[in-house]
Amino acid sequence: MLAADQPALRVLVLDNAPPMSFRDEFGHLTGFSVEIARAVCSEMRVNCTFDVTTQSAMLPAMSQGKADIAAVGLLETPERRARMLFAKPYYRSMSLWLARPGVAPGRAGVRVAVVDGSVQEAYGRKQGWEMHVVATHGELAEPLLSGKAQAVLAPMITAINLQKTEAFRQLGLATTVIQAPELSGDAAFGISPFRPELQKEINAALDRIKRNGTYDRINSRFLPFRVS
Amino acid sequence: MIAALKSIQAGRAFALLAALFLVAFGVAVVLLALDQQRVVDATSRLQEQTVPEIIRFQRLARNLEQLRQEGERIFAVSSHASRQQSMFVVTLIASHPSILEHPGAAQLARETEQFLGDVVRQAATDDRRPATRYDEWQRIAARLGMQVDDVSVQGINQANSDLVVATTAMKLARYKLMIALLLVGVFLLVFMVLVRRHLIYPLQRINHALSTLSADRPAPEFEASTMLEIQAVEESISEHHALLIQNEETRLALEKLANKDGLTGLTNRRHFMQSAEVELQRAQRYRRPVTAAMADLDFFKKLNDTYGHAAGDAVLRAFADLVQDTLRQSDLVCRYGGEEFAFLFPEIGPAETEKLAERLRVRCAAMEVPLPDGRSIKATVSIGLADASECPIEIALKHADEALYEAKRLGRNRVMVSCPPEPAVDSEPDTRTASLF
Repeated sequence: MLAADQPALRVLVLDNAPPMSFRDEFGHLTGFSVEIARAVCSEMRVNCTFDVTTQSAMLPAMSQGKADIAAVGLLETPERRARMLFAKPYYRSMSLWLARPGVAPGRAGVRVAVVDGSVQEAYGRKQGWEMHVVATHGELAEPLLSGKAQAVLAPMITAINLQKTEAFRQLGLATTVIQAPELSGDAAFGISPFRPELQKEINAALDRIKRNGTYDRINSRFLPFRVS
Repeated sequence: MIAALKSIQAGRAFALLAALFLVAFGVAVVLLALDQQRVVDATSRLQEQTVPEIIRFQRLARNLEQLRQEGERIFAVSSHASRQQSMFVVTLIASHPSILEHPGAAQLARETEQFLGDVVRQAATDDRRPATRYDEWQRIAARLGMQVDDVSVQGINQANSDLVVATTAMKLARYKLMIALLLVGVFLLVFMVLVRRHLIYPLQRINHALSTLSADRPAPEFEASTMLEIQAVEESISEHHALLIQNEETRLALEKLANKDGLTGLTNRRHFMQSAEVELQRAQRYRRPVTAAMADLDFFKKLNDTYGHAAGDAVLRAFADLVQDTLRQSDLVCRYGGEEFAFLFPEIGPAETEKLAERLRVRCAAMEVPLPDGRSIKATVSIGLADASECPIEIALKHADEALYEAKRLGRNRVMVSCPPEPAVDSEPDTRTASLF
């Protein structure tokens, strides 16, 4: 157990990736990942301070030890594994291709909107796609609405949020689940490579909140179905 | 084995028993601890693995239920956009790994997705179409409901095997505990029986034997004990008893030696005076007649001078034998000194005693004492009698001695009776003193 008088853990979060991490109407950070991180901190009986970052800035910050925990749903990739540690997964994700019916992935002339530093961006780059890269998940709708991009490759939960706006629904995009191993699977928090001792504590805290109902309440609050 | 048990050291026997008990009890404790460990393992598995698994099934059931709700919404709403949003969630749930890893749920979710996809596409062209397919949806919804139940129960059942393991271990532990307690009970019983039989009973026997141990009683007999220590104590008691008897015999021999005259075998003067004192007191208390006498062999100095001291001793021994042969069993006699003898005759007065003394005198006069050189010698005796029923022994003997002197003076080889003392006033204290002692 970490003592209560230890310095607060520095937790990195995104602030424009609803419903995973965002600011509510009062400007407070919240969302599925943020609340899970809060619950884990409270289970570990440590204070946590939240620092806002972006998907692309997150990995360098972690590898340099500028933060202890990255409270972002991260799929494990070799690149990430080389630069930080992973906690136990806290949900299972997949990536969705949203485009007009008939617009298949990889077709010439199709520009795909992706978030900078995401696995979707890495996948598109590997496939040699034309891409429109944005900094945050919250900015993914705009390129499609303005015609700068014809498709979006986004994590499942981000896609749910995109579908919520009337303007986006008007585009009449079809949804396809991309069955690629690097685009789906277990999503977990990142842990600083300088704090390996945190891994055990965080995993135990995750186990406890999954058992005591805290996890399911947070799930119901932010997401339409169980994502574990 | 039996032969080895015939005799055994108590310390070793009880140490062996204690060791056996420790081993048996230790085995029972280890078995119990193993059962307990199985219970602990089963419960920790329940907590660490099974409960999360149960929760996973609950989440799957929740997702299937969500699938059903989204389907209902597709039929309930009239807006195409709302249908599309629900359809989007249906697609996500049906593709989500949590559904895909459960074959039954995955199959049903895929069917549901295809059916609802059809319905949504048809509704895009014709708003009334969904109503015609509602019966079909009801059947799928019912199957979804059943699947929810199945998955829930399947989840709960995950706990059963852990609980069975824990319950079995607990039951086993209970039996083993009972056996262990029984074992303790049996060992305590055996221990108590052995202690009673081999230590307490023998100790009680030894205590009884020691408290009644005496030279007058036969040696105590012990049942054969298997305990070497007890055997040793019992042997010591028997040895002690033999020693007691030996001591008693020695004591009696020493007492005889102390009371006898070495030459004649008659009691000596000291012992005679003690016995006579007791006899006289008894006679005077019951006012019984009693007579004292003094006897002296005539011309004994001359006999010694003529024949030698050995001949004198032979005469003394022969006279002592004659006295013992002639007198009654109850009469007391001693060698008073030199050739002088003292007597006390209970229950007879001077007159009767005179007849007895006369018979002794006659037999003495008739006696011939053979000497080693073939010759034989004769001896006579003078006897003085005095009534002892009213005076102390010393006074009675003094009177008898006076009568003896009178017999000597009158020519020896005769019996004389002392004149009965005048009942004088000044003799009273003497009588009283005598009766006091």
